[in-house]
Amino acid sequence: MGAFEYRQALEIRDVFSRYSVRYLFIGKSGAILLGYPDTTQDADLFLDRSPVNARAVVAALRDLGFSLGDVEAAEIEQGKDFVQLRHGPFDVDLVFAPDGIERFEDAWRRRVDVEGFPVCHPDDIIASKAAANRVKDRESLPRLRAFREYWVANRQRETP
Amino acid sequence: MSRMAHTDIAGAWLADFEAASRRPLALRVRYAFIRTYKPVLDDASYRAFDTIAEYRDWCERNLPAWLGYGRV
Repeated sequence: MGAFEYRQALEIRDVFSRYSVRYLFIGKSGAILLGYPDTTQDADLFLDRSPVNARAVVAALRDLGFSLGDVEAAEIEQGKDFVQLRHGPFDVDLVFAPDGIERFEDAWRRRVDVEGFPVCHPDDIIASKAAANRVKDRESLPRLRAFREYWVANRQRETP
Repeated sequence: MSRMAHTDIAGAWLADFEAASRRPLALRVRYAFIRTYKPVLDDASYRAFDTIAEYRDWCERNLPAWLGYGRV
């Protein structure tokens, strides 16, 4: 499998939209969509845990080419906190309950639209990484916080 | 770290951010997503955890420390 490609990001956007999936790019992949220059391997998707949405996620993933068995589909539909998929057309982590964010609805209200991609606000990406408090998060947070300042200042300049 | 060093690093970051902001989204994605093998983590095609805490525990118990998934 090669690296995650832009056309695959477009496929997620379009297929998830067709199935009315409520999701947000989160983590480093979300930050990258916002303009953060860094590298990562997989796409991290924060999903609304409602049963309707979880069923839509399964249908959309199958449409995208993920061969989900019955057990896997059932676990996603249950809304397990964290599901890691490495057998599809690209690597993706499904997160129903990220660290540092109380409710999907809160993050959804704060979301940023990047050319049709729903992305967590930088504050939520930072809150999630700060709460996870892994070594790799601790290392990346100073630069991510600096990017947040840059992003906010740019946004204020662009907003009339 | 001295104040001067901090300023230098911030300046380098700023240059990175400005350069990235000039790239179209498709190019940003192309530059950002790279395929790197992560031992253990990438050795299973599917994993699911009831809670994020269970996932974090699993990472700490099973992944090489140098991957950085351990909690501080």
